Amino acid sequence: MRVLIVEDDPLIGDGLQAGLQALGFSCDWLRDGKLALSGIRAAPYDAVVLDLGLPGMDGLEVLAAWRRAGQHEPVLLLTARDGVNDRIRGLDAGADDYLVKPFALGELAARLRALLRRRGGSSTPLLTHGRVSLDPAARQVTLDGQPVALSARELAVLEVLLGNRNRVLSRAEIEEKLYDWAHEVESNAVEVHIHHLRKKLGADFIKTRRGLGYTLGDGA
Amino acid sequence: MSYSLRGQLVRSLLLVVTPLWLLGSVLLALHARHEVNELYDGQQQIFARQLYSTLPMLAQQPAGSDPKAEKTDHQAVAVWNPQGQRLLVDSEGLELPYHAGVTGFHLLQHDDEDWRVYYLSGPAGSVAVAQENSERLEAISGLLLTQSMVWLLLLPFALGAVWWAVFRALQPLADLCRTLLQRQPDDPTPLAHPLPSELAPLLDSLNGLIDRVAGTLQRERQFTASAAHELRSPLAALRVQAELLTLLDDANARNAAAGKVMQGVDRASHLVDQLLALSRLEQQQTLPSQPLDWAQLAEQACQQVAEYSTVRGSHIRHQVSGGPLPAGEALLLSLLLRNLLDNAVRYSPPGAEVLLEISPQLIRVSDNGPGIAAEHLPHIGQRFYRPPGQSQSGSGLGLSIVRRIAELHGLQLSWHNRPEGGLSVELRPH
Repeated sequence: MRVLIVEDDPLIGDGLQAGLQALGFSCDWLRDGKLALSGIRAAPYDAVVLDLGLPGMDGLEVLAAWRRAGQHEPVLLLTARDGVNDRIRGLDAGADDYLVKPFALGELAARLRALLRRRGGSSTPLLTHGRVSLDPAARQVTLDGQPVALSARELAVLEVLLGNRNRVLSRAEIEEKLYDWAHEVESNAVEVHIHHLRKKLGADFIKTRRGLGYTLGDGA
Repeated sequence: MSYSLRGQLVRSLLLVVTPLWLLGSVLLALHARHEVNELYDGQQQIFARQLYSTLPMLAQQPAGSDPKAEKTDHQAVAVWNPQGQRLLVDSEGLELPYHAGVTGFHLLQHDDEDWRVYYLSGPAGSVAVAQENSERLEAISGLLLTQSMVWLLLLPFALGAVWWAVFRALQPLADLCRTLLQRQPDDPTPLAHPLPSELAPLLDSLNGLIDRVAGTLQRERQFTASAAHELRSPLAALRVQAELLTLLDDANARNAAAGKVMQGVDRASHLVDQLLALSRLEQQQTLPSQPLDWAQLAEQACQQVAEYSTVRGSHIRHQVSGGPLPAGEALLLSLLLRNLLDNAVRYSPPGAEVLLEISPQLIRVSDNGPGIAAEHLPHIGQRFYRPPGQSQSGSGLGLSIVRRIAELHGLQLSWHNRPEGGLSVELRPH
């Protein structure tokens, strides 16, 4: 899952990026509000973490500009201002959630997962398809209730597929969700991960559509 | 020293009234004696003349005939024919000596009493009319007594009136006192209280004080709110980096995060130091002023930022030119120079040249960095304001501290972008 972080504070931004990566997200980090205006279109982001006190352009202005431009990514605001009016202003400007500094990284990750879940129209924390269940918070996958050992990348590919069921995802789309700017995309990596997932979860779990990409199987 | 206004007024009243009353009594006594003497003397003279006019009639009676024993209190009369024979006398008059051919007043002692005697002599004989002096004294003392009685009767009323007037006059103060007691300590509204014009200055000063206190309180609240707000970012950074330590397995990544935790602690400490410095400076109103060794101060300040400037690869030079340099407080001016130099090094690119110049008319710190964009230039003196696009951490309080120290020293702070590039921050005497 790919998240855009817009935060001017070097220590907070760095910590957010490293922390969310450790929690299974791929993250890009922008430090400037003006850059973020177009930066949101640089990749298919699943969610945005936006600091309110940005240099160059205030976080709320950035958010309003995104919404005007038709960017509907879920946005979680980070701010040092904790007044009720500040929260109201933030949410009314189009934010989906709000966290006051200082915050717990674990809570931020949980709120991001909740945002993605709601975006997907689901309210249960588990992503389930057929015999396979994925717990995004615990980073665990079970097959018929039995834990399956997956690498972080394999799990991330599975999460992308489960989050976009009924859609055919091209290799490039999966790559974009998987790799942030800091990580080089390895060629054929997605094929390798899919191959491993099929071995561990069943050959029919992921179908290949020639020339189009991958999608989940019937789930039988 | 506390004293009672009422007691004071009553004491003043008694102190003024008593001597006045005594003086009045003395004057009254003197005047009364004069008037009484005149009156009684006149009566004696008239009586003497009337007696004298009866002399021819009396002379036909045989001389030395029985005197009429008229009993007149405190009065005495005697009538003689030209030969000195007593024609008429009352019981007291027997003692009056005969003075032939004398007209006028005499004093006489008889029975331990002072007598005033009027003699009238003429061809028909002599007349003496005498009166006891005590009679006159009684009249005078009666007058004095009446006057004193009036005074003594009126005095309690006068004192009561003073007491009451003071009570009435102090009533607005008592009301004001009650209002002040019931007032919330942070109420910034001025007191609107009907007070007599004599007390209006008190109300004005009280309102002035309330206004100043409210301003101070407001600034303190803003400062506390801003400070708490500003501390959230370093705390958030610390929290995130500390949490990262528990998430990461890779030793290198953990070391990096631990280093950033330390950076975060340093940053929070710096902010707290600056907040404390500014808060103390805000309280300070006056300064001990001493002659300063500016060359040493400049040297010290440069050394204090030397470690940081070495990390940034910047060079700091300083020039102190001659002439009488401003006096001041060494520790504060050292803090001022350190903040200016730290800003110059911090917000210039690595390897920048920073110059500190000190002369009698100017203290200037200039750098050869990019300067500050015109739209942010007016704001950099505001508390917690940091121009955007800053990779360097900072509290946003440095210039506020510099400005406060400058104010305490009567120096004016200004800054501008140098035409040749870089920022110049200057301090000049007012």
